[in-house]
Amino acid sequence: MRKALSPRANLWLTAGAFLLPLLAWCAVSYLPFVWHPKVTISDPGSVDWFQKDMQVDRAEFREENRKAASEGRALAQGRRENPVYLPAPHQVARALVTAFKTPPQRAGDPWLHQSLGHSIRIIVLGFVLSAVFGVPLGILCGTFGLASRLSEPFVDFIRYMPAPVFGALCVAILGIDDAPKVAIIFIGTFFQMVLVVANTTRSLPLPLLEAAQTLGAKQRQLLLHVVVPGVLPLLYRDMRILLGWAWTYLIVAELIGASSGISFFIYQQAKYRNYDNVYAAIVIIGLIGLGTDLFLKGLGRKFFPWEKVDP
Amino acid sequence: MSEAALALPDYRDLSPELQERFRAIAERETILEIDGVRKDFAAPKGAQPLPPVLGGVSFEVKRREFICLIGASGCGKSTLLRILGGLESRTGGEVRMNGHQVDGPGADRGMVFQEYTLFPWLTVKQNVMFGPRMAGQGRDHSEAEALQWLDMVGLSERANAWPHQLSGGMKQRVAIARALANSPPILLMDEPFGALDAQTRCTMQKHLLQIWKNVDVTVLFVTHDLDEAILLADRIVVLGARPGRILEIIQVPVDRPRHVGQLLSPHFLATKKRLEQLIHPDDPEADQDLPIIRMTQVGDEAEEPGAGRVRTMNGP
Repeated sequence: MRKALSPRANLWLTAGAFLLPLLAWCAVSYLPFVWHPKVTISDPGSVDWFQKDMQVDRAEFREENRKAASEGRALAQGRRENPVYLPAPHQVARALVTAFKTPPQRAGDPWLHQSLGHSIRIIVLGFVLSAVFGVPLGILCGTFGLASRLSEPFVDFIRYMPAPVFGALCVAILGIDDAPKVAIIFIGTFFQMVLVVANTTRSLPLPLLEAAQTLGAKQRQLLLHVVVPGVLPLLYRDMRILLGWAWTYLIVAELIGASSGISFFIYQQAKYRNYDNVYAAIVIIGLIGLGTDLFLKGLGRKFFPWEKVDP
Repeated sequence: MSEAALALPDYRDLSPELQERFRAIAERETILEIDGVRKDFAAPKGAQPLPPVLGGVSFEVKRREFICLIGASGCGKSTLLRILGGLESRTGGEVRMNGHQVDGPGADRGMVFQEYTLFPWLTVKQNVMFGPRMAGQGRDHSEAEALQWLDMVGLSERANAWPHQLSGGMKQRVAIARALANSPPILLMDEPFGALDAQTRCTMQKHLLQIWKNVDVTVLFVTHDLDEAILLADRIVVLGARPGRILEIIQVPVDRPRHVGQLLSPHFLATKKRLEQLIHPDDPEADQDLPIIRMTQVGDEAEEPGAGRVRTMNGP
């Protein structure tokens, strides 16, 4: 338990963490006997309601062919397939490329890269706004009892309200464009952030503050030269986790007012039954999230060289 | 112990040099006045009132003196030191530093703690610069000073290391340098070597005496280690528990300069014996055997007379 792994083992396990689900997906997609609960008709034969390229349940297909066989009619032909909502890996991989190159179905709809750009802009705006207010307020709450008593009970009260319930209000107040979406991200992260930052700030060891005081540091200096640098690496880690939450609220935010962004793209593609594009978009969100986190982690190592372990 | 004890001198028996030294110290100016300091904790509602942690403690500290505070656990020695440092409030009495009332912590009373309190986000050098920087000194000036202090504690080569790269002993040396960089008249040390292993602790005691010899600073040092107290102090303030009070102030009869070789000298042992009498007067726990039943079946008679015999049977 809690033993450090060797770098080699780490690498293999990390690769395995991605390979195992991928292998399972390949098995389900390429080995017909694993699942493939549908049959796609290639030749309807004598079954009058079958059509070419139609997908029917395997049980239905068998039942109709059994009837046809007993009456001596021509049998329907077809091959086993997965339902349309589960495309194979290679289809999704192809979609990852073509989704960017395919013009939108309806003229005037955004391209995928435009949708993505829009989503990222909403997230960054909402998150930066909430950090600009949330981090200082959280640090004050974690440092001074007065600030904590004055704001934390109310923040805790709002925190329990799911951000989406403010959607209608936000649209009424801020209009139907980007402003209410940014507001949802803000509401979803700000109140959590204040409490998380306050608790992290409280985790600063008291002896450090006492030592600083006996070295002559006064209130303001304690805050700026001890509290802030002391908890900065931990706050940075908190921000990385909270950024993940911002993506969760994005999906809600983008479907209120005028739908937009990557969630709208996914919604549209599902409507057109382009499930490979849906999966591609979901994978892209995952990749952006993972990439951002790895990037921030690396940046953290640069920022906080005194940390023994990764912040 | 009993026969050897007969041969020990009286612990109050000072050599002429020491008598002269204590006379000289007594004539110096008073740095710190501790006058009837009390500390009570409020008892929970309905419970019996608690005895005060400190029930009126008074003594004076002279300039350049080295004083150790010692006592059984719960005697309030750390609490007293924290009150002097301004980190804890007192419920009665007065503390005056150079004639001024002490209210809250300040740069005139440097402190070294048992826990490692170096700021992990600052390099060793920046840690030592912290006090002067807070006092508004320029970067260049405080850096030059910091390097001098690091030189004094023998760590100038590690100036740019991070605290987590240092050993425990090194951390405490940096902590001492950091406290001294403010040039405080007095250094309050709260079991600063308590977390170190025996050997490092011994080295640190030697270092501290060297530093004290070369720097114009008064030291008030809390410890529960009798040897440490006798080795370091001019005077030892022995505190008793419940309520915390002074049992005796001992003028240590061991000549200076001090070194580990004195640990078995008659005056050292006499002082230690007196301290033991004061701190553990016929401790009922010390003579008590644990009511443990025999739980081993192997015939290794450890802790029994003749325990080594098993091995000699196999020998030549």
